[in-house]
Amino acid sequence: MATIINCSDLAFSYNETSVLRGINLSIVPGKMLGILGANGAGKSTLLKILCGVLKPKSGEALFKDKELSKMDRREIAKGIAYIPQDPMFAFPFTVNEVVLMGRAPYIGSFEFEREKDREIAKRAMETVGIFHLKDRLISEVSAGERQLSSIARGLVQEPEIMILDEPATYLDVKHRTEIMNILRELKEERGLSIIAATHDIFSSLFYFDEIMILKDGSILAEGKSDEVINSEILSSAYGIQVTVKKENGRVFVFPNQ
Amino acid sequence: MKQIEFGLFNMSTNRKFLISTVLLFVLWIIVALIAIFTGTYSIGPFEAFEAFSNSDELSKTIFFKIRIPRVLMATIAGGTLAITGAALQALFRNPLASPFTLGISGGASLGALLALKSGLAVGFLGFSMVSISAFIFSLLTMLFVYSVSKVRGGVVATGRLLLAGVVANFLYSAVIMFIQFFSTFTESLQTMRWVMGSLDIVGFDTVWKTLIFVIPGCLILLSLTKDMNLFGLGDDVALSLGVNVKRMEKKIYFATSLAAGAVISVTGPIGFVGLIIPHILRMVLGVDNRIILPCSFLLGATFLTAADTVSRTIISPVEIPVGIITASIGGIFFLWLLIKTKKEIIV
Repeated sequence: MATIINCSDLAFSYNETSVLRGINLSIVPGKMLGILGANGAGKSTLLKILCGVLKPKSGEALFKDKELSKMDRREIAKGIAYIPQDPMFAFPFTVNEVVLMGRAPYIGSFEFEREKDREIAKRAMETVGIFHLKDRLISEVSAGERQLSSIARGLVQEPEIMILDEPATYLDVKHRTEIMNILRELKEERGLSIIAATHDIFSSLFYFDEIMILKDGSILAEGKSDEVINSEILSSAYGIQVTVKKENGRVFVFPNQ
Repeated sequence: MKQIEFGLFNMSTNRKFLISTVLLFVLWIIVALIAIFTGTYSIGPFEAFEAFSNSDELSKTIFFKIRIPRVLMATIAGGTLAITGAALQALFRNPLASPFTLGISGGASLGALLALKSGLAVGFLGFSMVSISAFIFSLLTMLFVYSVSKVRGGVVATGRLLLAGVVANFLYSAVIMFIQFFSTFTESLQTMRWVMGSLDIVGFDTVWKTLIFVIPGCLILLSLTKDMNLFGLGDDVALSLGVNVKRMEKKIYFATSLAAGAVISVTGPIGFVGLIIPHILRMVLGVDNRIILPCSFLLGATFLTAADTVSRTIISPVEIPVGIITASIGGIFFLWLLIKTKKEIIV
């Protein structure tokens, strides 16, 4: 099957500090890839390269066989949606306005959204279950609802892949589960590819088809979640001795101290 | 920020745009007409028509050399200050940014004054050197304030922003006072009046010379309104949605300096318009820059035209500088806003 994103031997550094090196990654339609790793392991940087926000210092990052750094930004925006960890909302737009901004790559300067765009936004809000909040200010809804608004904004871009940076980190267990379920539905029903960075080892097993674990900017382990989530690898990834126990398809991770 | 419900708030963007711009345009026409027919020397619509047919030279001169140019200048100045204020607020992601608070008006004033004093008040390829000098000083001030107030991760720190603006304004006014100190009494008085902000112009010449800068500046800003919205979601999201963030920032610097510099070089620093007008509009219309920027131009134009009419007539025949009127109205408005939202965060 054709790959959506394919990168080989990626490297990145901020000033002189190397953040990523030797990263190879590819994802096909309808798959969900989870990226795990300690804080500062390079997850966010990798995601920003994959959605074209950052240019790699060396190596190739391809979106459907085209090099991302040479593509038009609006073209990228029609194929890749990026949901950051803690999105900024400098002005109190309504939820509806935020979601509609996902149509930006389809709209020119001096133009407004058309009926069709509003319809797409409405469906996206219904999909993630926030249509009733559409006229509320983004500054007034809860953190979970804000994250859902961002996901709806991403959907409205009609992308082939959605890249999320810790989509559920700040959320309670209910919203976290809700968001992961929505992502899985999108993957299964629409064939959307998903790459998400996460600290949530528990949900990794359920939701992700594949897991990549980063450590100090390189790949420590990758593969099916059963294969890579074990005591040895996680202890190395997070620099703390942990025990991983699996029972009835569930996984328990706890530190040894 | 608090919203005032007028039923306009949740309308679809294009309808909201249409209704608000048409309403504000009509409001501007009404105020401009009142302004043209009001003044120390009273000329009613009927007398104006009569002056035409009877060729009453005095009325004609007042009407075409003074009233109409002045109303046009108030329109251009008020509109430009308000639209550049709104654009700067989007660029700094901060509702307290404006040509006045960022020290840009101080910079433009000094730039214009220096050009005047060094005898550069000549045209250069049809452009006024005074406006060009004001533009350069505005641009430098903006770059200074931006570089000082931008902290890690591209976030603008409000405290640093306002402090940098205040410092820039103080430095500029020190230099302006220094120049004044060595001027003759008459020159000094002229500068004084101009620094207070005044729309005292004669003839259409100044109007055209300002428009050369203002029209391209405002058009550039209007072409960026959609990108400004996306920019409000952070650099990374804006980039991922197709905005060339670096280029957008440069265009906003250039366009605001161009338009605001040209206006301030003529009128002097007229405060508060760039701050209050976008603020009021956001309370009523929401924060979409595609609506806020054009409406800011219209409401700013209307507001300054009205304020200028008051300044010409309130203690007629004496004219008080319009800057005093806008600063008093602006100051009182902000105090009211502060008191009303005592326990809330206003920005």
